[in-house]
Amino acid sequence: MTDTELYTEVSSDFMTTGGKVLLFDIEDNVYGVEIQYITEIIGIQPITIVPKVPDYIKGVINLRGKVIPVMSVRKRFGKEEIPYDERTCIIVIEYDNIAVGLIVDKVNEVLEVDPEQISATPDYKSVNSNRYISAIIETQTGIKLLLNCQKIVAE
Amino acid sequence: MSKFEAGMEAMVDMYIYETTTLLEQLDQILMKTESASSFGEEDINEIFRIMHTIKGSSAMMGLENMSTLAHAIEDMFFIIREEKPVITNTRDLYELVFNASDLLKAEIELLQEDSYSPTDFSGAKQKIFDFVDILKGKAPSGGTDQSAAQPPAAAPQAAAPAEQKSSEFTAVRVFFEDDCKMENLRALLIINKIRDDCEKLEYEPADIETNPESAKKIIENGFIIRFKPNGPVENITREIEEALNVKSYEFISAPAQSAPAKEEKAPAASAPAQPQQASPAAEKKTEPAPQKEEGASVEQINNLLAQSKGSGAKQSLISVNLNKLDQLLDMVGEIVITEAMVTANPDLKGLQLDNFQKAARQLRKLTDELQDIVMSIRMVPLSGAFNKMTRIVRDMKVKLNKDVDLVFEGEETEVDKSVIDNLNDPLMHMVRNAMDHGIEDTAEERIAKGKPAKGTITLSAYNASGEVIIVVSDDGKGIDPAKVLAKAKKNGLLTKPEKDYTEKEIYNLIMLPGFSTNEVVTEYSGRGVGMDVVRKNIEKIGGSVSVDSKFGQGTNFIIKIPLSLAIVDGMEVTVGKSIFTIPINSIKESFKLKPKQLIKDTSGKEMIMIRGECYPLIRLYDIYGLEPSYTDLFSGIIILVEAEGKSACLFADELIGEQQVVVKPFSPLLNNFKVKQNGMAGCTILGDGSITIILDVNNIISNF
Repeated sequence: MTDTELYTEVSSDFMTTGGKVLLFDIEDNVYGVEIQYITEIIGIQPITIVPKVPDYIKGVINLRGKVIPVMSVRKRFGKEEIPYDERTCIIVIEYDNIAVGLIVDKVNEVLEVDPEQISATPDYKSVNSNRYISAIIETQTGIKLLLNCQKIVAE
Repeated sequence: MSKFEAGMEAMVDMYIYETTTLLEQLDQILMKTESASSFGEEDINEIFRIMHTIKGSSAMMGLENMSTLAHAIEDMFFIIREEKPVITNTRDLYELVFNASDLLKAEIELLQEDSYSPTDFSGAKQKIFDFVDILKGKAPSGGTDQSAAQPPAAAPQAAAPAEQKSSEFTAVRVFFEDDCKMENLRALLIINKIRDDCEKLEYEPADIETNPESAKKIIENGFIIRFKPNGPVENITREIEEALNVKSYEFISAPAQSAPAKEEKAPAASAPAQPQQASPAAEKKTEPAPQKEEGASVEQINNLLAQSKGSGAKQSLISVNLNKLDQLLDMVGEIVITEAMVTANPDLKGLQLDNFQKAARQLRKLTDELQDIVMSIRMVPLSGAFNKMTRIVRDMKVKLNKDVDLVFEGEETEVDKSVIDNLNDPLMHMVRNAMDHGIEDTAEERIAKGKPAKGTITLSAYNASGEVIIVVSDDGKGIDPAKVLAKAKKNGLLTKPEKDYTEKEIYNLIMLPGFSTNEVVTEYSGRGVGMDVVRKNIEKIGGSVSVDSKFGQGTNFIIKIPLSLAIVDGMEVTVGKSIFTIPINSIKESFKLKPKQLIKDTSGKEMIMIRGECYPLIRLYDIYGLEPSYTDLFSGIIILVEAEGKSACLFADELIGEQQVVVKPFSPLLNNFKVKQNGMAGCTILGDGSITIILDVNNIISNF
């Protein structure tokens, strides 16, 4: 994967103009999702198991009459799952008309990101979970990792 | 989209819908009359009416090219109707009209693109004019556009000799609001409105219907109407007053000014002279529709009246935006879920609520009915998609000179609207393939093989185990497996040794991208993309295509469309905490196992003996890796299922009950993980908001 490919994965608007990002926690890391992809944030819901799919797909939920798959972001990133509590959230994102719910430990805040805070991810072929990160956001409170919605939805 | 005047854009959708429907009607009439090889009076009138409406609405939209083309055809049929010429070259006539219909359809398609520029139809128009000349007994003149514009005026003049009008005429000059645009058409609307109330009617400029330039004249001089009312004059002046965009009107009583109008009388003006005009008031009451018929003669209205008795059913239909239906369906889904939330609310537990329960039952009944109705609204019969194929077969019959019958079976089978939209292209490809490659080139070839000289292409549809199955079959050459294999090998499409391919696998090779056995690329097929596109389109709606063929005897293309959004009667069963829905039509029976029915083979594989037949046993928890309540076969329930002639017994915990469910297809995200191959057809939302997975019995039997 070359540098140029990486750039195309982030919406080019975001790299140049910045924008709003919703932050959420997974373990000790703070991740961000561009707000333009987010449909809504809901509490944890009863999940119907779908057999024979990878373990990070927890199943499907009923979002007001729509059936959408939910995945555990923890599992997706190869981390241990923790029991759901009242802070566990499902962030529903939509990319290319495909909706998916992301189960996260908790959601934080919405952050306005300036372009100069954004840098592209380094190209580590060996690091697997790096594929789902499209950019790195530096803030005073620390580093946030921007989630690549396309990869999350498509792979 | 600057192609339409401001304020028109909202009407574009309606226009496109209406015109497309009309053109389809036209094709059907043409096809019907062509096979019956006679034009009935009604058919001519119907074509006339269709073309007339298209002409009017196209002009309204400012699509002049379409309007004039439609006008040319209208004129042609006017002559056919009025003068009843002996048509010697019927085939040319059909070609002309079909061609024009195609042009209009293509233009409508273009219209929906952003970069639209009007196509020039003058070539097609010229052909029509030439034909009109032939009809009139003249030699083809190759006339210019100027002469082309004339026939409408010429024909009615011949039909209705100019009558002298008397001084009984009342004349009114109407002015339209400044800048209201299209004054000529607005004037036409007034004329149409008052026509029934007038014994005689003339207007100036007379060419408002055909000449957009007349709008300028109206702006300058006003629109002059001269009429002889058959009731009080007030009726008419009121109509004029109420008409849209009328700024003012004044009475002028100068019959002398009528001279120019007399010379170029529009067809409409001649109408009052004809005897059929006897009871205009009665017509108005019984059938308001003809009033819309701009410039239609009263005779035509009468003919329409005669037909309209048969077409009463049409008027009970309305067209609705599909998005609204989607919203409605979602909303009803929510109501059903909310209803369950209210009536089964945990707060009510342990309370004695007789009246509440009664009301709740009533509510449930109503919501159930509501749900049924909404679901049925979205279902449309396949006949529409099938009928489109008649046209293709007809065209290809002529071009390829093959005699073929197109037969429909089960066209009343209903599928969801969204499925139909995605079916048209694949069906078209397959029918073309059948015509081009399938049916033998000559009748002799067929007779030599002991087949009837006339080929048959059958389109059939039916419901089977929760799927809609559509079969396109022909009784033609069939597919030569050896040839297919050789070709696939040549194109490097083989993935395993040649001899490992079964006959069925070989046939399905033709669906691979870049495959085509026909060496010659024809207009219709053979570009090597056809079947690939078919497969992709069908897969897009979650279906599958397979090919079955007997070399020398024919080919079947089998399309299976999933239940997507269809309604299925399902049986809910539990496996541990999960609930699955099994389509009722694939269930043969369910029962508790008795010890003597269980058999194990040498490898420990379990089988169940029912009435002397042996069926394999599939434990649902086992194949799906779930935690069941029972692993003991005698505690749970056995369900005997069947799909496509194969049967098996499924083992689940319990039966919950039967319910009608709406099938929701899986998200594309899940489709990536081959859920379908793993025996899951989709999911559905139950009344309490929980989701169950609908099992695809066929895939379970084949893959486990």
